[in-house]
Amino acid sequence: MRRQRSLGWAATSAVILSLCVAALTGLHNSGIGVGWRSPTVALGLIACCIGAVGVIFLGLAYHRLVGTVMSIARQLSSASTGSESGLQSGSLLEMVSGLRSELDERAERIGQLETELKDLRLQSRLADRQKQHAEAIIYSLRDAVVVIDESDRLLMANEAAANLLDFDPSAACHQALAETVGQKHNEFVQLLQQSRQSGIEATRRELEFEQSDGPHTLDTIVSCVHEGDKVSGVVAILHDITREKEISQMKNDFVSHVSHELKTPLASITAYSEMLADGEADDEETRKEFYAIIQSQAQRLNRLIEDILNVSRIESGLIKVQKEPVSLAILIEHQMQMIKGFAEEKQITVTGQTPIIFDQVNADKDMISQVVVNLLSNAVKYTPAGGSVRIETQVDEVERLARVTVADTGVGIPADELDHVFDKFYRVGANNKQAKGTGLGLNLVKQIVEKVHGGRVFVTSEVGRGSTFGFELPLAAAVAAGAT
Amino acid sequence: MTGNRVLIADDEIHIIHVVAIKLRNNGFEVIAANNGAEAYELACTEHPDIIVTDYQMPFVTGIELIEKLRANEETKHTPAILLTARSFAISEEMQETLGVEACLSKPFSPKELLKTIQDILHEKAMALHV
Repeated sequence: MRRQRSLGWAATSAVILSLCVAALTGLHNSGIGVGWRSPTVALGLIACCIGAVGVIFLGLAYHRLVGTVMSIARQLSSASTGSESGLQSGSLLEMVSGLRSELDERAERIGQLETELKDLRLQSRLADRQKQHAEAIIYSLRDAVVVIDESDRLLMANEAAANLLDFDPSAACHQALAETVGQKHNEFVQLLQQSRQSGIEATRRELEFEQSDGPHTLDTIVSCVHEGDKVSGVVAILHDITREKEISQMKNDFVSHVSHELKTPLASITAYSEMLADGEADDEETRKEFYAIIQSQAQRLNRLIEDILNVSRIESGLIKVQKEPVSLAILIEHQMQMIKGFAEEKQITVTGQTPIIFDQVNADKDMISQVVVNLLSNAVKYTPAGGSVRIETQVDEVERLARVTVADTGVGIPADELDHVFDKFYRVGANNKQAKGTGLGLNLVKQIVEKVHGGRVFVTSEVGRGSTFGFELPLAAAVAAGAT
Repeated sequence: MTGNRVLIADDEIHIIHVVAIKLRNNGFEVIAANNGAEAYELACTEHPDIIVTDYQMPFVTGIELIEKLRANEETKHTPAILLTARSFAISEEMQETLGVEACLSKPFSPKELLKTIQDILHEKAMALHV
């Protein structure tokens, strides 16, 4: 088409050019009048020629164009009506039809892709949210979580892990784990590396970690993350079981101590009873002595059982409390007399101070008596022969409370153990050998003073110089004022 | 058997008292200590024929006392009986490891303790004759 149009233009140009040349030559040679020879006339002739040729050319071009358009229209019309003659009439119909079906397919595919894209965006948002949730859970866990990749580089670690292994999590991401946590935690690094190399689903081991407050035991579970046959990473979860182990040990110690404490008076009762039954007590005086020992040992046994039961009752809230105004001075004087026999056996002097001021507290008399006797007997137990124990009562008028202190010249308690002396079953390590005990006496003191009477217990101590245990209770007047 | 000297070590004065009466009633001489350290000194100076010791005592326990006795040439062959109020039982194998001839659990029978002492001393005497 373009070629034909070019040829048309070339022919028309040639005709115009030849006509112009002929006109000019003819005018010049024929010698026609002066008017004909003028350039104005010549240019007018040329313009007429050009106009004529242009009209002819435009007519031809118009005819050709209209023909083409009409042909296409007919074919399209045929195609749209599906007429046989139309289809047979040219390839354009097939081309248009193919193009249309292809466009339809493409449109359908685009629709599908748009739907898939929406789904993927939704899934991506959900995955992001789930990831955020999972991360929030992991980062808020008290258990340490460490994730490494297949090259032992750190992928993720929560705050607990950073604290445990002592590294900065923001600077450690994608760094080699061994370099991040250092030689100090080599055993942990090796466990992760071995798990990754072996590809074992899960490995569990107790590992020791040295921390600022001493060694900690962590129950460590290491799991491999698989991608096909390959291990793509390792997840380690470390749960601190130091306290659980301590409690378990304390319970075992308690069973052992209680067993010992119960069996000791029972041994005396059994032995003296057998001696009496076998007639080994020759005279009435010896028999009376044996009876008295059996009786005192039975009472000792009963006190121990009461201690155990009282701790249990107070903890469960089942104990019956009968509060009444009690004078601490009178109560203390009575308990001092009770403990003097035991103190004299050990050659320890027990002294007290009788206050001349009002010191009544609203308390359960039996329970506070137990508090005082426990503190006094503890002081005597842990004071070497020749030492002394002093019990004092003070009244704090400003705070409206009574304060009782029991000071001894005993072995003392190391500073790092002071916080635990009131814990159930706890026994000071260094003093464990010095005297027998269940680790219940001071816990019972704390429970009675703080849980039952709303008071406070305290202790100060210096190793080798002695300890001062004490408690504070609100004055009866203060309790009454608070109640009204 | 009469005249044999028994050292008894226990921080429970009533146990010392009752065992001492039982043994003295049966012809034994009794010396007593109320902790492990004192018992070791008496074992070295008084040379008892047999030692009866409590397991748990202040400062030096019964086990530590026996270890010290076995490490001393003078006392290494002195027979020992362990009294224990602990919750676990002590097997014969453990007795051998500890270096004690017998082990009695509290509460114990004074008669049984007397018989055990007599048997051990009898065996020792027979071994010396052989």
